[in-house]
Amino acid sequence: MTRRRFAPLLPMAAVLICAPAPATGQSDFEGIWTSASVVPLERPAHLKGKEFYTKEEAAENAKRVLGMTSWERLGSQAPEHYNMSQYGLDLSQVKVAATLRTSLIVGPDGRVPPLTPEAQKRSAERAARNRGHQFDGPENRPLQERCIIYSTEGPPMQPSAYNSNLQIVQGTGYVAIVQEMIHSTRIIPTDGRPHLPPDICQWLGDSRGHWEGHTLVVDTTNFTDKAPFRGSTASLHLVERFTRVDDDTIIYEFTADDLATWTRPWTAQVTLARIDGPLFEFACHEGNLGIANTLKGARAAEKQ
Amino acid sequence: MRTKLTIVLASAGLLLAAWPLRAHHSFAAEFDVHRPIKMRGTVTRLGWINPHSWIYIDVKGPDGKIVNWMIEGGSPNALLRLGFTKDALPVGSEIVVEGFQAKDGSNRGVGQSVSFADGRKLFLGGSAPGANGPEK
Repeated sequence: MTRRRFAPLLPMAAVLICAPAPATGQSDFEGIWTSASVVPLERPAHLKGKEFYTKEEAAENAKRVLGMTSWERLGSQAPEHYNMSQYGLDLSQVKVAATLRTSLIVGPDGRVPPLTPEAQKRSAERAARNRGHQFDGPENRPLQERCIIYSTEGPPMQPSAYNSNLQIVQGTGYVAIVQEMIHSTRIIPTDGRPHLPPDICQWLGDSRGHWEGHTLVVDTTNFTDKAPFRGSTASLHLVERFTRVDDDTIIYEFTADDLATWTRPWTAQVTLARIDGPLFEFACHEGNLGIANTLKGARAAEKQ
Repeated sequence: MRTKLTIVLASAGLLLAAWPLRAHHSFAAEFDVHRPIKMRGTVTRLGWINPHSWIYIDVKGPDGKIVNWMIEGGSPNALLRLGFTKDALPVGSEIVVEGFQAKDGSNRGVGQSVSFADGRKLFLGGSAPGANGPEK
Protein backbone atom coordinates (compact mmCIF):
# COMPACT_ATOMS: atom_id res chain seq x y z
CA MET A 1 0.00 0.00 0.00
CA THR A 2 2.00 2.90 -1.25
CA ARG A 3 -0.85 5.31 -1.82
CA ARG A 4 -1.12 8.28 0.42
CA ARG A 5 -3.95 8.13 2.85
CA PHE A 6 -5.12 11.60 1.87
CA ALA A 7 -5.59 12.87 -1.63
CA PRO A 8 -4.02 16.29 -2.16
CA LEU A 9 -5.98 19.28 -1.02
CA LEU A 10 -7.90 20.75 -3.92
CA PRO A 11 -9.02 24.32 -4.25
CA MET A 12 -12.55 23.31 -5.25
CA ALA A 13 -13.50 26.78 -6.39
CA ALA A 14 -11.02 26.58 -9.23
CA VAL A 15 -11.01 23.04 -10.63
CA LEU A 16 -8.53 22.42 -13.42
CA ILE A 17 -8.95 19.62 -15.90
CA CYS A 18 -5.66 17.82 -16.18
CA ALA A 19 -6.62 14.15 -16.45
CA PRO A 20 -5.63 12.48 -19.70
CA ALA A 21 -8.45 11.81 -22.13
CA PRO A 22 -8.62 8.35 -23.73
CA ALA A 23 -8.72 7.84 -27.51
CA THR A 24 -12.51 8.20 -27.50
CA GLY A 25 -12.08 11.79 -26.39
CA GLN A 26 -14.06 11.02 -23.25
CA SER A 27 -12.54 11.43 -19.80
CA ASP A 28 -11.63 8.18 -18.13
CA PHE A 29 -13.50 7.58 -14.87
CA GLU A 30 -12.79 3.86 -14.65
CA GLY A 31 -11.52 2.60 -11.36
CA ILE A 32 -12.46 2.05 -7.74
CA TRP A 33 -13.24 5.13 -5.70
CA THR A 34 -14.36 6.16 -2.25
CA SER A 35 -16.65 9.02 -1.30
CA ALA A 36 -15.60 8.87 2.38
CA SER A 37 -15.55 12.38 3.79
CA VAL A 38 -14.80 14.31 6.95
CA VAL A 39 -17.21 17.02 5.82
CA PRO A 40 -20.94 16.87 6.62
CA LEU A 41 -23.63 17.36 3.99
CA GLU A 42 -24.91 20.50 5.68
CA ARG A 43 -22.74 23.28 7.02
CA PRO A 44 -22.60 23.52 10.81
CA ALA A 45 -24.29 26.65 12.15
CA HIS A 46 -21.08 28.16 13.50
CA LEU A 47 -19.58 28.14 9.97
CA LYS A 48 -22.50 30.01 8.44
CA GLY A 49 -21.31 32.03 5.44
CA LYS A 50 -17.92 30.31 5.36
CA GLU A 51 -17.86 27.94 2.39
CA PHE A 52 -14.18 27.01 2.52
CA TYR A 53 -11.64 26.32 5.23
CA THR A 54 -8.11 27.55 4.94
CA LYS A 55 -5.66 24.72 4.36
CA GLU A 56 -4.73 24.74 8.06
CA GLU A 57 -8.35 24.75 9.21
CA ALA A 58 -9.20 21.87 6.85
CA ALA A 59 -6.35 19.82 8.28
CA GLU A 60 -7.50 20.59 11.81
CA ASN A 61 -11.08 19.59 10.96
CA ALA A 62 -9.89 16.31 9.42
CA LYS A 63 -7.79 15.58 12.50
CA ARG A 64 -10.75 16.26 14.79
CA VAL A 65 -13.23 14.13 12.83
CA LEU A 66 -10.82 11.23 12.34
CA GLY A 67 -9.96 11.42 16.03
CA MET A 68 -13.52 10.69 17.14
CA THR A 69 -14.10 7.28 18.67
CA SER A 70 -16.41 4.88 16.92
CA TRP A 71 -18.88 5.32 19.80
CA GLU A 72 -18.94 9.07 19.21
CA ARG A 73 -19.58 8.49 15.52
CA LEU A 74 -22.50 6.18 16.25
CA GLY A 75 -24.27 8.65 18.50
CA SER A 76 -27.49 7.23 19.90
CA GLN A 77 -26.68 3.71 18.71
CA ALA A 78 -23.44 3.56 20.64
CA PRO A 79 -24.35 1.38 23.68
CA GLU A 80 -25.43 -1.71 21.78
CA HIS A 81 -23.24 -1.31 18.71
CA TYR A 82 -20.02 -3.17 18.07
CA ASN A 83 -16.69 -1.41 18.01
CA MET A 84 -16.47 -0.04 14.46
CA SER A 85 -12.69 0.27 14.46
CA GLN A 86 -12.21 -3.32 15.62
CA TYR A 87 -14.05 -4.47 12.50
CA GLY A 88 -12.20 -2.11 10.17
CA LEU A 89 -15.22 0.11 9.58
CA ASP A 90 -14.03 3.32 11.17
CA LEU A 91 -13.51 6.42 9.05
CA SER A 92 -9.98 6.75 10.43
CA GLN A 93 -9.09 3.39 8.82
CA VAL A 94 -9.92 4.32 5.23
CA LYS A 95 -8.68 6.77 2.65
CA VAL A 96 -10.46 10.09 2.83
CA ALA A 97 -10.14 12.75 0.16
CA ALA A 98 -9.12 16.07 1.60
CA THR A 99 -11.21 19.10 0.77
CA LEU A 100 -11.36 22.73 1.74
CA ARG A 101 -15.16 22.64 1.81
CA THR A 102 -16.96 23.17 5.12
CA SER A 103 -20.04 21.31 3.84
CA LEU A 104 -20.79 19.13 0.85
CA ILE A 105 -23.62 21.51 -0.08
CA VAL A 106 -22.19 24.39 -2.07
CA GLY A 107 -23.05 28.08 -1.86
CA PRO A 108 -23.16 30.65 0.90
CA ASP A 109 -25.91 28.85 2.85
CA GLY A 110 -24.59 25.31 2.73
CA ARG A 111 -27.90 23.86 3.90
CA VAL A 112 -30.73 21.86 2.35
CA PRO A 113 -33.40 24.45 1.45
CA PRO A 114 -36.56 24.55 3.59
CA LEU A 115 -39.26 22.00 2.83
CA THR A 116 -42.31 23.36 1.05
CA PRO A 117 -45.56 23.33 3.11
CA GLU A 118 -46.71 20.42 0.94
CA ALA A 119 -43.55 18.45 1.79
CA GLN A 120 -43.87 19.21 5.50
CA LYS A 121 -47.44 17.89 5.45
CA ARG A 122 -46.33 14.80 3.53
CA SER A 123 -43.50 14.15 5.97
CA ALA A 124 -45.77 14.54 9.00
CA GLU A 125 -48.36 12.19 7.50
CA ARG A 126 -45.71 9.59 6.74
CA ALA A 127 -44.37 9.77 10.29
CA ALA A 128 -47.90 9.51 11.72
CA ARG A 129 -48.66 6.45 9.60
CA ASN A 130 -45.53 4.66 10.75
CA ARG A 131 -45.73 5.69 14.41
CA GLY A 132 -46.29 2.59 16.55
CA HIS A 133 -45.98 0.32 13.54
CA GLN A 134 -42.21 0.44 12.95
CA PHE A 135 -41.82 -3.24 13.84
CA ASP A 136 -45.09 -4.71 12.55
CA GLY A 137 -43.36 -6.59 9.74
CA PRO A 138 -40.48 -6.40 7.29
CA GLU A 139 -42.37 -3.92 5.10
CA ASN A 140 -42.27 -1.40 7.94
CA ARG A 141 -38.50 -1.53 8.21
CA PRO A 142 -36.15 0.83 6.34
CA LEU A 143 -35.13 -0.15 2.82
CA GLN A 144 -31.48 -0.61 3.78
CA GLU A 145 -32.37 -2.95 6.65
CA ARG A 146 -34.29 -5.01 4.07
CA CYS A 147 -31.23 -4.98 1.78
CA ILE A 148 -33.15 -3.31 -1.04
CA ILE A 149 -31.15 -0.09 -1.45
CA TYR A 150 -28.79 1.70 0.92
CA SER A 151 -29.76 5.19 2.00
CA THR A 152 -26.57 6.80 0.71
CA GLU A 153 -25.92 4.82 -2.47
CA GLY A 154 -28.01 7.17 -4.52
CA PRO A 155 -28.46 8.60 -6.92
CA PRO A 156 -27.42 11.00 -5.56
CA MET A 157 -24.35 9.26 -4.14
CA GLN A 158 -23.30 10.43 -0.67
CA PRO A 159 -20.60 9.38 1.77
CA SER A 160 -21.74 6.54 4.01
CA ALA A 161 -20.84 5.75 7.61
CA TYR A 162 -18.62 2.97 6.22
CA ASN A 163 -17.89 1.13 2.95
CA SER A 164 -18.26 4.28 0.85
CA ASN A 165 -16.72 2.35 -2.02
CA LEU A 166 -17.81 2.31 -5.64
CA GLN A 167 -16.53 1.23 -9.02
CA ILE A 168 -17.01 3.00 -12.34
CA VAL A 169 -16.83 1.06 -15.59
CA GLN A 170 -17.08 2.67 -19.04
CA GLY A 171 -18.04 0.98 -22.29
CA THR A 172 -19.26 2.11 -25.68
CA GLY A 173 -22.54 3.88 -25.08
CA TYR A 174 -22.68 3.09 -21.36
CA VAL A 175 -21.23 3.98 -17.98
CA ALA A 176 -21.90 1.66 -15.03
CA ILE A 177 -21.52 2.47 -11.35
CA VAL A 178 -21.31 -0.37 -8.84
CA GLN A 179 -21.88 0.45 -5.17
CA GLU A 180 -20.40 -1.92 -2.60
CA MET A 181 -23.13 -0.91 -0.16
CA ILE A 182 -25.51 -2.62 -0.62
CA HIS A 183 -24.93 -4.14 -4.05
CA SER A 184 -26.61 -1.99 -6.71
CA THR A 185 -25.22 -1.42 -10.17
CA ARG A 186 -26.53 1.64 -11.99
CA ILE A 187 -26.28 1.34 -15.76
CA ILE A 188 -26.25 4.71 -17.48
CA PRO A 189 -26.77 4.81 -21.27
CA THR A 190 -24.79 7.61 -22.93
CA ASP A 191 -26.08 7.03 -26.46
CA GLY A 192 -28.70 9.76 -26.48
CA ARG A 193 -31.74 7.58 -25.94
CA PRO A 194 -34.70 9.20 -24.14
CA HIS A 195 -35.79 8.50 -20.58
CA LEU A 196 -38.24 5.69 -19.84
CA PRO A 197 -41.94 6.58 -20.03
CA PRO A 198 -42.94 8.61 -16.96
CA ASP A 199 -45.19 5.89 -15.56
CA ILE A 200 -42.21 3.56 -15.00
CA CYS A 201 -40.60 4.19 -11.60
CA GLN A 202 -37.40 2.52 -10.40
CA TRP A 203 -35.55 2.29 -7.09
CA LEU A 204 -32.52 4.04 -8.60
CA GLY A 205 -34.48 6.18 -11.05
CA ASP A 206 -33.65 6.20 -14.74
CA SER A 207 -30.29 7.72 -15.67
CA ARG A 208 -29.11 9.07 -19.02
CA GLY A 209 -25.61 10.41 -19.55
CA HIS A 210 -23.98 12.77 -22.00
CA TRP A 211 -20.65 14.56 -22.27
CA GLU A 212 -20.05 18.24 -21.86
CA GLY A 213 -16.38 18.56 -22.71
CA HIS A 214 -14.50 16.41 -20.20
CA THR A 215 -17.44 16.27 -17.81
CA LEU A 216 -19.90 13.38 -17.71
CA VAL A 217 -23.39 14.75 -17.03
CA VAL A 218 -26.03 12.30 -15.83
CA ASP A 219 -29.70 13.22 -15.81
CA THR A 220 -31.96 11.04 -13.65
CA THR A 221 -35.77 10.97 -13.45
CA ASN A 222 -38.38 8.20 -12.93
CA PHE A 223 -37.79 7.93 -9.19
CA THR A 224 -40.24 6.22 -6.86
CA ASP A 225 -42.12 7.61 -3.86
CA LYS A 226 -41.07 4.45 -2.02
CA ALA A 227 -37.46 5.65 -1.79
CA PRO A 228 -37.61 9.37 -1.00
CA PHE A 229 -34.35 11.29 -0.90
CA ARG A 230 -34.65 13.61 2.09
CA GLY A 231 -38.41 13.67 1.67
CA SER A 232 -38.48 14.01 -2.12
CA THR A 233 -41.23 12.74 -4.40
CA ALA A 234 -41.11 10.65 -7.57
CA SER A 235 -40.84 13.99 -9.40
CA LEU A 236 -37.27 14.45 -8.21
CA HIS A 237 -35.01 15.57 -11.06
CA LEU A 238 -31.35 14.94 -10.42
CA VAL A 239 -28.37 16.15 -12.45
CA GLU A 240 -24.93 14.74 -11.62
CA ARG A 241 -21.64 15.97 -12.99
CA PHE A 242 -18.44 13.89 -12.89
CA THR A 243 -15.18 15.73 -13.57
CA ARG A 244 -11.79 14.05 -13.37
CA VAL A 245 -9.31 16.54 -11.93
CA ASP A 246 -6.21 14.35 -11.57
CA ASP A 247 -5.15 10.73 -11.63
CA ASP A 248 -6.61 10.01 -8.22
CA THR A 249 -9.53 12.43 -7.94
CA ILE A 250 -13.01 12.95 -9.37
CA ILE A 251 -15.19 15.88 -8.41
CA TYR A 252 -18.74 14.57 -8.23
CA GLU A 253 -21.46 17.20 -8.07
CA PHE A 254 -25.21 16.73 -7.91
CA THR A 255 -28.13 19.13 -8.15
CA ALA A 256 -31.46 18.01 -6.71
CA ASP A 257 -34.63 19.69 -7.94
CA ASP A 258 -38.11 18.83 -6.74
CA LEU A 259 -40.45 21.78 -6.38
CA ALA A 260 -42.91 19.55 -4.52
CA THR A 261 -40.27 19.16 -1.79
CA TRP A 262 -37.78 22.06 -1.62
CA THR A 263 -38.26 25.75 -2.17
CA ARG A 264 -35.35 25.80 -4.61
CA PRO A 265 -32.87 23.39 -6.27
CA TRP A 266 -29.70 22.68 -4.30
CA THR A 267 -26.24 21.41 -5.16
CA ALA A 268 -23.62 19.38 -3.30
CA GLN A 269 -20.09 18.44 -4.25
CA VAL A 270 -18.33 15.25 -3.15
CA THR A 271 -14.68 14.41 -3.78
CA LEU A 272 -14.12 10.83 -4.97
CA ALA A 273 -10.65 9.51 -4.18
CA ARG A 274 -9.11 6.54 -5.95
CA ILE A 275 -8.55 3.49 -3.75
CA ASP A 276 -7.01 0.10 -4.23
CA GLY A 277 -9.42 -2.67 -5.08
CA PRO A 278 -11.02 -4.95 -5.33
CA LEU A 279 -14.61 -4.11 -4.61
CA PHE A 280 -16.13 -7.07 -2.79
CA GLU A 281 -19.49 -8.68 -3.33
CA PHE A 282 -22.04 -7.62 -0.73
CA ALA A 283 -24.69 -10.32 -0.88
CA CYS A 284 -26.80 -8.45 1.64
CA HIS A 285 -30.16 -10.14 1.31
CA GLU A 286 -28.74 -13.65 1.39
CA GLY A 287 -27.01 -13.02 4.72
CA ASN A 288 -29.50 -10.69 6.32
CA LEU A 289 -30.23 -12.33 9.67
CA GLY A 290 -30.64 -8.90 11.23
CA ILE A 291 -34.13 -8.22 9.88
CA ALA A 292 -35.56 -11.42 11.41
CA ASN A 293 -33.70 -10.84 14.67
CA THR A 294 -35.01 -7.27 14.90
CA LEU A 295 -38.60 -8.47 14.47
CA LYS A 296 -38.04 -11.25 17.02
CA GLY A 297 -36.83 -8.59 19.44
CA ALA A 298 -39.99 -6.58 18.85
CA ARG A 299 -42.25 -9.61 19.41
CA ALA A 300 -40.40 -10.37 22.66
CA ALA A 301 -40.80 -6.76 23.80
CA GLU A 302 -44.55 -6.90 23.12
CA LYS A 303 -44.93 -9.83 25.51
CA GLN A 304 -43.31 -7.98 28.39
CA MET B 1 -8.38 32.62 13.89
CA ARG B 2 -6.69 29.55 15.24
CA THR B 3 -7.90 30.31 18.76
CA LYS B 4 -11.42 30.92 17.56
CA LEU B 5 -11.45 27.67 15.60
CA THR B 6 -10.16 25.70 18.56
CA ILE B 7 -12.91 27.06 20.76
CA VAL B 8 -15.51 26.16 18.19
CA LEU B 9 -14.15 22.67 17.70
CA ALA B 10 -14.21 22.07 21.43
CA SER B 11 -17.97 21.83 21.10
CA ALA B 12 -17.62 18.87 18.73
CA GLY B 13 -20.55 17.10 20.36
CA LEU B 14 -22.86 19.67 18.84
CA LEU B 15 -21.71 18.66 15.38
CA LEU B 16 -22.15 14.91 15.59
CA ALA B 17 -25.70 14.93 14.32
CA ALA B 18 -24.47 16.36 11.05
CA TRP B 19 -22.55 13.25 10.05
CA PRO B 20 -24.02 10.27 8.18
CA LEU B 21 -24.03 7.69 10.93
CA ARG B 22 -26.59 5.20 9.77
CA ALA B 23 -25.60 1.62 10.34
CA HIS B 24 -27.09 -1.20 8.31
CA HIS B 25 -29.74 -1.80 10.94
CA SER B 26 -30.82 -0.62 14.36
CA PHE B 27 -28.75 -2.41 16.96
CA ALA B 28 -30.98 -1.01 19.69
CA ALA B 29 -33.91 -2.88 18.11
CA GLU B 30 -32.06 -6.18 18.06
CA PHE B 31 -30.01 -6.14 21.26
CA ASP B 32 -30.81 -5.26 24.85
CA VAL B 33 -28.57 -2.73 26.56
CA HIS B 34 -29.83 -4.10 29.89
CA ARG B 35 -28.41 -7.54 29.13
CA PRO B 36 -24.65 -7.14 28.94
CA ILE B 37 -22.72 -10.33 28.25
CA LYS B 38 -19.12 -11.34 28.79
CA MET B 39 -18.32 -14.93 27.93
CA ARG B 40 -15.46 -17.21 26.99
CA GLY B 41 -16.13 -19.76 24.31
CA THR B 42 -14.74 -21.98 21.60
CA VAL B 43 -15.37 -21.15 17.96
CA THR B 44 -17.54 -23.79 16.24
CA ARG B 45 -18.37 -21.98 12.99
CA LEU B 46 -17.94 -18.70 11.14
CA GLY B 47 -20.78 -17.17 9.17
CA TRP B 48 -18.66 -15.12 6.75
CA ILE B 49 -21.65 -13.26 5.31
CA ASN B 50 -22.78 -9.71 4.61
CA PRO B 51 -24.19 -7.48 5.92
CA HIS B 52 -22.82 -8.91 9.19
CA SER B 53 -20.43 -11.67 10.08
CA TRP B 54 -21.53 -14.21 12.69
CA ILE B 55 -19.23 -16.12 15.01
CA TYR B 56 -20.67 -19.26 16.61
CA ILE B 57 -19.12 -20.29 19.94
CA ASP B 58 -19.65 -23.05 22.47
CA VAL B 59 -19.87 -21.61 25.96
CA LYS B 60 -19.77 -23.69 29.13
CA GLY B 61 -22.30 -22.48 31.71
CA PRO B 62 -21.92 -22.57 35.51
CA ASP B 63 -23.69 -25.94 35.50
CA GLY B 64 -21.14 -27.38 33.10
CA LYS B 65 -23.62 -27.51 30.27
CA ILE B 66 -22.36 -26.39 26.82
CA VAL B 67 -24.52 -23.85 25.00
CA ASN B 68 -23.92 -22.58 21.46
CA TRP B 69 -24.11 -18.78 21.02
CA MET B 70 -24.28 -16.64 17.84
CA ILE B 71 -22.25 -13.44 17.94
CA GLU B 72 -22.91 -10.65 15.42
CA GLY B 73 -19.99 -8.61 14.07
CA GLY B 74 -18.97 -6.33 11.21
CA SER B 75 -19.02 -7.12 7.50
CA PRO B 76 -16.42 -9.54 6.09
CA ASN B 77 -15.61 -6.98 3.38
CA ALA B 78 -14.01 -4.65 5.88
CA LEU B 79 -12.28 -7.52 7.70
CA LEU B 80 -10.76 -8.71 4.42
CA ARG B 81 -9.40 -5.21 3.89
CA LEU B 82 -7.75 -5.50 7.29
CA GLY B 83 -6.05 -8.63 6.02
CA PHE B 84 -8.23 -10.86 8.19
CA THR B 85 -9.58 -13.93 6.41
CA LYS B 86 -11.90 -16.66 7.56
CA ASP B 87 -8.86 -18.89 8.08
CA ALA B 88 -7.46 -16.47 10.66
CA LEU B 89 -10.07 -17.64 13.16
CA PRO B 90 -10.01 -21.45 13.01
CA VAL B 91 -12.70 -23.60 14.53
CA GLY B 92 -11.55 -24.47 18.04
CA SER B 93 -10.10 -21.03 18.78
CA GLU B 94 -10.87 -19.80 22.27
CA ILE B 95 -12.22 -16.25 22.36
CA VAL B 96 -13.75 -13.82 24.83
CA VAL B 97 -16.82 -11.85 23.79
CA GLU B 98 -18.16 -8.70 25.38
CA GLY B 99 -21.43 -7.23 24.17
CA PHE B 100 -25.17 -7.41 24.67
CA GLN B 101 -27.69 -10.23 24.40
CA ALA B 102 -30.57 -10.28 21.92
CA LYS B 103 -33.84 -8.74 23.10
CA ASP B 104 -35.72 -12.02 22.65
CA GLY B 105 -33.47 -13.65 25.24
CA SER B 106 -32.06 -16.23 22.84
CA ASN B 107 -28.41 -17.25 22.85
CA ARG B 108 -27.44 -14.52 20.47
CA GLY B 109 -25.53 -11.32 21.03
CA VAL B 110 -23.57 -8.51 19.49
CA GLY B 111 -19.80 -8.86 19.67
CA GLN B 112 -19.05 -5.35 20.77
CA SER B 113 -15.50 -6.33 21.57
CA VAL B 114 -13.97 -9.71 20.77
CA SER B 115 -10.59 -10.95 22.00
CA PHE B 116 -8.47 -14.05 21.82
CA ALA B 117 -8.04 -15.84 25.13
CA ASP B 118 -4.60 -14.24 25.59
CA GLY B 119 -6.15 -10.77 25.48
CA ARG B 120 -5.27 -9.77 21.90
CA LYS B 121 -8.17 -8.06 20.19
CA LEU B 122 -9.56 -10.15 17.36
CA PHE B 123 -9.15 -8.67 13.87
CA LEU B 124 -6.83 -5.90 15.03
CA GLY B 125 -3.75 -8.06 14.69
CA GLY B 126 -3.84 -7.58 10.92
CA SER B 127 -2.65 -4.70 8.82
CA ALA B 128 -5.19 -2.18 10.11
CA PRO B 129 -3.81 1.30 10.60
CA GLY B 130 -3.50 1.86 14.32
CA ALA B 131 -3.79 -1.84 14.98
CA ASN B 132 -1.30 -1.61 17.79
CA GLY B 133 -2.52 1.71 19.08
CA PRO B 134 -5.09 2.49 21.74
CA GLU B 135 -8.55 1.09 21.20
CA LYS B 136 -10.97 3.61 19.77
